[in-house]
Amino acid sequence: MKGSKVVIIFSPKVLSPTGIPDPAVILRMYRKGLELLTGASRPEEALKLWFKPQDRIGLKINTIARRALSTRPETSVPLALWLGQNLGGEDKIIIWDRSNEELKDAGYKLSTSPGSLKIFGTDSRGVGYTAEPIVHRNIGSLFSRIQTDLIDASISLAILKDHGIAGVTAGMKNYFGAIHNPNKYHDSHCNPYIAELFETDLIQGKHRLSILDALKVQYHRGPSYHPQWAEDYKKLIFSTDPVAADSIGWKIIEELRAKKGLPSLQEENRAPLYLFTAEKMGLGQAKLENIEIIEEEV
Amino acid sequence: MDRRDFLKFSVIGSGLLLSGKGYGLSSPLKNFYEAAPSSQLSKVEARYYEKLPDREIKCNLCPRFCQLGDKERGFCGVRENQEGKYYTLVYGQVASYNIDPIEKKPFFHFLPGSEAFSLATAGCNLSCKFCQNWEISQMRPEQVKSVYLPPEDVVQTAEQYRCPIIAYTYSEPVIFYEFMYDTSLQARRHHLRNVVVSAGFINPEPLADLIKVVDAIKIDLKAFTQDFYSNYVHGELQPVLQTIKQIAGSKAWLEIVYLVIPTLNDNPDDIRKMCRWLKAEIGPDYPLHFSRFHPMYLIKNLPPTPVSTLEKLRDIALEEGLHYVYVGNVPGHPGESTYCPNCGKLIIERYGYIIKKKEMSGNKCRYCGQVIPGVWS
Repeated sequence: MKGSKVVIIFSPKVLSPTGIPDPAVILRMYRKGLELLTGASRPEEALKLWFKPQDRIGLKINTIARRALSTRPETSVPLALWLGQNLGGEDKIIIWDRSNEELKDAGYKLSTSPGSLKIFGTDSRGVGYTAEPIVHRNIGSLFSRIQTDLIDASISLAILKDHGIAGVTAGMKNYFGAIHNPNKYHDSHCNPYIAELFETDLIQGKHRLSILDALKVQYHRGPSYHPQWAEDYKKLIFSTDPVAADSIGWKIIEELRAKKGLPSLQEENRAPLYLFTAEKMGLGQAKLENIEIIEEEV
Repeated sequence: MDRRDFLKFSVIGSGLLLSGKGYGLSSPLKNFYEAAPSSQLSKVEARYYEKLPDREIKCNLCPRFCQLGDKERGFCGVRENQEGKYYTLVYGQVASYNIDPIEKKPFFHFLPGSEAFSLATAGCNLSCKFCQNWEISQMRPEQVKSVYLPPEDVVQTAEQYRCPIIAYTYSEPVIFYEFMYDTSLQARRHHLRNVVVSAGFINPEPLADLIKVVDAIKIDLKAFTQDFYSNYVHGELQPVLQTIKQIAGSKAWLEIVYLVIPTLNDNPDDIRKMCRWLKAEIGPDYPLHFSRFHPMYLIKNLPPTPVSTLEKLRDIALEEGLHYVYVGNVPGHPGESTYCPNCGKLIIERYGYIIKKKEMSGNKCRYCGQVIPGVWS
């Protein structure tokens, strides 16, 4: 019996010739992914497993690498609107990252209007960070008030990328964008910091689902965008186990690297060992033999 | 507040902000929730870095040697790779400023009783869990309010308030190196002195260049064990010791501060080893300050340092032959004052940051003529 389930949905039609995701195809991928993840007859039913009717839901995206390699609006907005339709209104959904500037660079139009989907960064006026640091193990940080005060439940909708220091950046590391000082936690390949941050009540207690955006995967020289090492992979990865999702992300990066004749992350001495730390902390499954993988094409 | 507003405010607001001369003045930090957009950050090319293939860079300013891809920042949070070129984001971006007595830094053997126009930008290349200035040092520049104050305006403001000294302090001046260096050059042309308050986590080459343009450096030696540096500072001890030796071998004046944190770095054996190392490597004449810790930032579960601990450590340092050992953050304590190592008489009496009495002739003890090392005029 496998401990955790990860669903990988592939669509050959999801990207336009210029690499732009097709929102209609994206939505079909979400629906199929959630259906397979939960075994629910309708994906809308799956949502009730994770979200209460009154929940305000945050989609934490990753926009640090500008439009070329960020969670694109074409990917996140269809999910947000669909969640809104099925969970009592789009105004309860926030697409967010740390700064408005980065969101705009990634192609987002900011929105704080009442009654509509919210899209804004932590640096928005009136938002900001907690006034006092929150301490947990080796973490001591101010947390985004979006994460602490403005949402009840969270989906990490992260880009899957190679990372020069951490090895892999995916759903768990995405929450580095929820604190004010991520630059302080890159020593030792971000280990144990990524796991320890995720373990905090404010992250773990609100996290419901990891969705890795593997439509275009930077498998080398990440997290910056280098087109010569980016593959149109056309997949989304789903799991309620944040460690398992990222471990499958790691596997994908290694497969792409091997295909291109690049050394493994282990050989480059930057394997994402934080995943095993996370497993030891009970946050999920890192070992592939404990992860059930379901793949399907839409 | 922009530069013009700052200078105007400095003049008309002198009765409010700057004329308080450092005693209990409020910080000008902006409400954190109204942080300035990053488009207002500086974009001045950094020094001491090398370009690597694929738009990566390696920073050589401090012993971390951060290697960064495009759009990434170093550990300090204030230096950023932008398409293969490395920039300081805090050149002229002053997040905190004040007029402080030089004793507040503390410098006890450097122009006693003088006032220093003191400033800092956001950021630090360490991450001390007990940081006393974390609200600026542990922030990215866009997370604090800053005023734009380029070197010429810093010098002008210091002169306007008749401060003979500019102090680079509060956060970690190493990370605003370019701004500090250029300001120091301009200050020298105006016959102002430059002092630096640093943890000394810097590489030898940039330090060698800095030493040429500043007059004194105070080093925060956080502990004398690598364990402490690993667990509470996020840094390394050896480069700091190298920095201390390098400054002592230069023309710049040196003082050392050791913040004593109960149970964490107050082991008498370690202190004795440290004092022996200091005496052997730089001699007995550079002042050593044992400062009292107050619970702050991430370490709030420990009490303030007992005064008896500070006294005990001071006694150890004196036993080991260091000549000028002080107790800090305990106003009115006899250990705040300077005693002649030859005749033992009180030659500078202090209360907090105030000089109550000075019994020196030039650089000598007025009673016995012993030369007291330091910068006295």
